[in-house]
Amino acid sequence: MKKFISLLLIACLGAFIFISLYFPGGGTLAFPYYGDVDLNGRVSQAYIDKSVNGPNDVVVYGESTDEESGSANMVTSIVVDYRSFDTLGEVTVLLVSTLGVGILLGGKRKRLEYKHAPNFILKHGARLTFGLLVVFGVYMFAHGHLTPGGGFPGGSIIAAAILLLYLADDEFRVKLAGIKIAEGTAGSLYVIIGLAGLATGGYFLYNFLPNGTVGKLFSAGIIPIVYALIGLKVGSEISGAIDGFATEEVAE
Amino acid sequence: MIIAAYVFMVLGGLFLALGGFGVFRMPDVLNRIQAGTKATTLGAFSLALGVGLANPDWLVKIILIIVFIAVTNPVGSSVLARAAYKAGEARFEKTAPEGKEGDSNECV
Repeated sequence: MKKFISLLLIACLGAFIFISLYFPGGGTLAFPYYGDVDLNGRVSQAYIDKSVNGPNDVVVYGESTDEESGSANMVTSIVVDYRSFDTLGEVTVLLVSTLGVGILLGGKRKRLEYKHAPNFILKHGARLTFGLLVVFGVYMFAHGHLTPGGGFPGGSIIAAAILLLYLADDEFRVKLAGIKIAEGTAGSLYVIIGLAGLATGGYFLYNFLPNGTVGKLFSAGIIPIVYALIGLKVGSEISGAIDGFATEEVAE
Repeated sequence: MIIAAYVFMVLGGLFLALGGFGVFRMPDVLNRIQAGTKATTLGAFSLALGVGLANPDWLVKIILIIVFIAVTNPVGSSVLARAAYKAGEARFEKTAPEGKEGDSNECV
């Protein structure tokens, strides 16, 4: 009976979504087909053309220079350029949550003991994979302004590599002092870049560097720098939290 | 070039299908792990290589992916097999190693 009711509920939900998308009141589609959307006069058109203030000329990949935000990835230009202050807030949220983990799980700690010690194959395989994973994470945030990706996933991939070493090696620990230095430096540099923008351009996190050609690696002004800082900060914060979870308190 | 790519892709799909069939058909955990690992590693290699030959722009990334699979897949399967062995899971009696002469498992 329970299964029947849940199936009925799911069927009703599906029918509701289908009907509301395909048969609205006036007989026209509420949800246009892919490629049929008319963006003229919408805000998103301005974001796609990357020129909110000037005339909306179409951007050509690899040729257009000195656009307002020179990022080839539209999401990045919104997240790290137009709405960069919001991203600073998100990074702060992560900082506060890892701070909570640090307060709860702080003090003098040692690694958890495994019931079965990891063998040679696992330890060395994990070390080989660690290098590849860190390179992939750096690629992720270095290309954040060109392809999907960016600071948060890149930093999470680096932290996942650290987690892999924690799981595979029963003696490995990161140096927490280094983690604190990396995290503090990255966070402060983000705010300092924002203040530099305030000094030169008139508002916080103004993109004051030359934008270059859309689609090149060295383009989009401060966006790659900010994404590298975010990647470093997120990676070190999550690594610190992982260290808290993989260790136990030393009995005094 | 494109014909070689298709050949590699078909071979990879074939090996992956055989690996899935092996996982379905083998009698116990260790046999299933060896069927799954060997066949799917080779299948993923050829499938990725076929895609890389069809789109030569991606070849460097594809080779990196192949290196990654070559490191991770065997190591993961060996760790799974070791855990299953240490947990003492049910064994198919015809392939169980205990009864054989000269078979030591000290390295596990």
